[in-house]
Amino acid sequence: MTHLDTLYRGALRLTRDPDQAQDLVQEAYLRALRYQHSYQQGTNMRAWLFAIMRNLFWDRFKGSRKEDVSLDDVGEFVLYDKLRDEGAKPEEDVLNKLAASEVVEAVEKLPPLHREVVLLVDVEGFSYKDAAQTLGVPIGTVMSRLHRARQQLQKSLYDYAVESGIVHTGGMKQVPQP
Amino acid sequence: MNCKDCSEKLDRYVDRELNDTEVFELKLHLEGCPDCEDQYEFQSHLKRLVRHSCDCDTAPPAFREKLRQILS
Repeated sequence: MTHLDTLYRGALRLTRDPDQAQDLVQEAYLRALRYQHSYQQGTNMRAWLFAIMRNLFWDRFKGSRKEDVSLDDVGEFVLYDKLRDEGAKPEEDVLNKLAASEVVEAVEKLPPLHREVVLLVDVEGFSYKDAAQTLGVPIGTVMSRLHRARQQLQKSLYDYAVESGIVHTGGMKQVPQP
Repeated sequence: MNCKDCSEKLDRYVDRELNDTEVFELKLHLEGCPDCEDQYEFQSHLKRLVRHSCDCDTAPPAFREKLRQILS
């Protein structure tokens, strides 16, 4: 069961449900076994397995419709610039204070077509080429989806930082120590 | 390379998608530009934060075992 953790993580982030993720991964391995003759030796097996899993996800949960829910139009949102404008030290004051659970939530809020490219490139470390092969799209599409996804992700993290008092508009705020 | 060129290539640099010449030019710019260097450090940190926040989930042992039985 090579690459099980990669597939499980991907399925969990896509479905946002551990039971559905397990069903999806189980079906993906069964399908991979059935169609193992279609795997080309020497190519990226992790990408091949992930592609089977994400195709099943779209077939099962999205009725094969890959039209995406549109991302909020956040424009060119650059978190680094925004935080500097607010008088914060972006790394020390903000990134170090973001909880992992908030980052996961921000990733899961992305529409699936954008979420999956973040999962492949940022979480699993796929090259653009392997991500493009996995998703069945040109490399340029991977780059544009990744760019938009990161903008949205940074906007979500900024909103969280403001709501939680890590940063406030108009300057930094000291968070009381527990 | 100026700051605008650097900013446009930073994502691909962080993702290790630039060719050797582009990497060389970008590194040269970063060495002489503290603002772009800070932005690069921030983006790298953010990418690591996303990875580490999301990659701690592993397949539960019971599911792993169940799958092993099904596939054997």
